[in-house]
Amino acid sequence: MTAPATRPSAPTRPTGRNWGAIAAIIKKDLTAVRRSKAVMIPMLAVPVLLLVILPLLIGLAARAQTGDMSSFLASIPDGLSEPILALPAEEQLIVLVNGYLLAPLFLIVPLMVSAVLAADAFAGEKERRTMETLLHLPIENRDLFIAKLLGAFLPAVAVSWVGFLCFCVVANTVAWPVMGRIFVPNSLWLVMILWVAPAVATLGLGVMVRVSVRARSTQEANQLGGAVVLPLIFLAVGQSTGLLLLDLPVALAIGAVIWVLALALTIRGARRFTRDQLATRI
Amino acid sequence: MTDVADRAPRSSPSGEPAISAWGLTRAFPSGLALDALDLEVYPGEVLALLGPNGAGKTTTVRLLNGVLAPDAGSSRVLGLDPATEGHELRHRTGVLTENAGLDDRLTARENLETTARIRGFDRRTARQRTDELLERFALTERADIAVQGASTGQRKRLALIRALLHEPEVLFLDEPTSGLDPAATRDVIALIGALASEHGRTIVLCTHFLGEAGRLADRVAVLHRGRLQVAGRPAEIAAQMWTGLPVEVDLGGPAPEAVVEAARSAAGVRTADATPAGIHVEVGGRDHLPDVVSALVGAGAAVFAVTPRPPTLEDIYFEIEARIAAEEGRPVGATS
Ligand SMILES: Nc1ncnc2c1ncn2[C@@H]1O[C@H](COP(=O)(O)OP(=O)(O)OP(=O)(O)O)[C@@H](O)[C@H]1O
Ligand SMILES: [Mg+2]
Repeated sequence: MTAPATRPSAPTRPTGRNWGAIAAIIKKDLTAVRRSKAVMIPMLAVPVLLLVILPLLIGLAARAQTGDMSSFLASIPDGLSEPILALPAEEQLIVLVNGYLLAPLFLIVPLMVSAVLAADAFAGEKERRTMETLLHLPIENRDLFIAKLLGAFLPAVAVSWVGFLCFCVVANTVAWPVMGRIFVPNSLWLVMILWVAPAVATLGLGVMVRVSVRARSTQEANQLGGAVVLPLIFLAVGQSTGLLLLDLPVALAIGAVIWVLALALTIRGARRFTRDQLATRI
Repeated sequence: MTDVADRAPRSSPSGEPAISAWGLTRAFPSGLALDALDLEVYPGEVLALLGPNGAGKTTTVRLLNGVLAPDAGSSRVLGLDPATEGHELRHRTGVLTENAGLDDRLTARENLETTARIRGFDRRTARQRTDELLERFALTERADIAVQGASTGQRKRLALIRALLHEPEVLFLDEPTSGLDPAATRDVIALIGALASEHGRTIVLCTHFLGEAGRLADRVAVLHRGRLQVAGRPAEIAAQMWTGLPVEVDLGGPAPEAVVEAARSAAGVRTADATPAGIHVEVGGRDHLPDVVSALVGAGAAVFAVTPRPPTLEDIYFEIEARIAAEEGRPVGATS
């Protein structure tokens, strides 16, 4: 083996954010995640279950029979039950479940995807003992942090949006014989998708960034994170069973609250994201 | 074993040091990891940073590359302050970390290209440079296989390639041969030797393998629990530690007391002790050897071989350990 003789042309050193480096890290993280079954399977199974199988079953059930919904509808807020009660009886189940109940439940998707990816990106880097190598490279702390954030946020939003498209196709198709029209997305769904889902993805991220400072492994991060993520999931389930059923202004307000929480957590995380702190906890 | 006297210096200290540190100190909750380190490394030099586990070698590298911030003291590497100009500095340094730090799920090429892209190479140059180095380090056939199945030796070579992608002016190698079999160790050592002679590159080599340090280093620095014990050329350190020349004499069996006494009374002999093969003497210099031999022969001993044995790096290292142990009043070899 001989040593290299030529010095390669000096790499350019851009000022400001180094998007080339950020893109390289995102690409590396996503390539690695794509090859990891342990990460990919739960990350895809949940959206498929929630956004394809569930609406399919509801649609089929609605086509088979029409139960009496009036007693259930009486227990939910008037703002929501009135427009549904105004519908023909056979449409009520489909619209209630696919149009409304599923919307809050849907938030599990961005929350879970971003949390799983963030755990892999932050705690996983420590677990695989690759963090130190990164710290010895010429990448600013801020760029590294942004790369790790985007690497979890963008896929979380992408999976949510693609999943939602699938949901719309399945829900409308299977319900067509009953509905005879396109009924999702409605305005509540649009608020969920465009406003609340990215906020929830950021929240999942913020929690995992915080948790990953302490955790030494992805598993530990997921366990610690689960303590926060699980209650949120239960809250989402609670909402979807009609206790906290959302209407439009409430959805907008909840979205705003989640954004504030998520950004506060993330900004705090960014402040602690220094080389010295990271190297001390390798 | 390489002895310390026969090694011609690869370069002579001249001009500004490539690396200098004054009072560099860093503590962790567990205690001081590095205690007021003063160090100079000149351009083109190979410095071996020696010391047992927990001596502070890795901490030193992290401080000198601006990954950790010092609690006290300061340093300059290539004229830059790692604590404030680390980003600039890391463009010009390369580090082989203790564990290779490769992502197992990525291929060799993906690992390298990611680093090249982070280092600011465009896609084409990154690929070209990666291919070139994979070929040179005989890893082309592994290029597109996940790192998962790579041997420790292949990992080390890959990690070394990654540290060299940008032709760094300063190279930090943290235990480059740990976990390697003898053949892989020999290859890596040869490789480091070749890297050292290129472009006047400065190398800091952290290791606990003294043979490796003896073969590669121009100067050594011995750390012990965060404190620098000695630094300098091995021959100079040896000269400070021992004034005499140790000599092994083969007498075909342990020297009888009368022969030992005769040796002790010969001119220029400082110490003489029987060994299983004959006798070990320490003389003031080479010139005294004929007198020693005639004294031994005069006492009736048959002399088969006389071998001057200048101290090796091992001798230096263990002598330092022994002196520390003596100072601390614990038996040699016992760890705290
Ligand atoms: N991040 C950290 N947190 C707490 N203590 C640390 C940390 N890094 C190093 N230390 C402590 O500092 C001391 C020096 O460690 P360092 O890793 O620099 O030693 P070393 O010479 O590289 O040892 P080795 O040969 O085992 O690699 C050790 O006592 C170690 O426990
Ligand atoms: Mg170490």
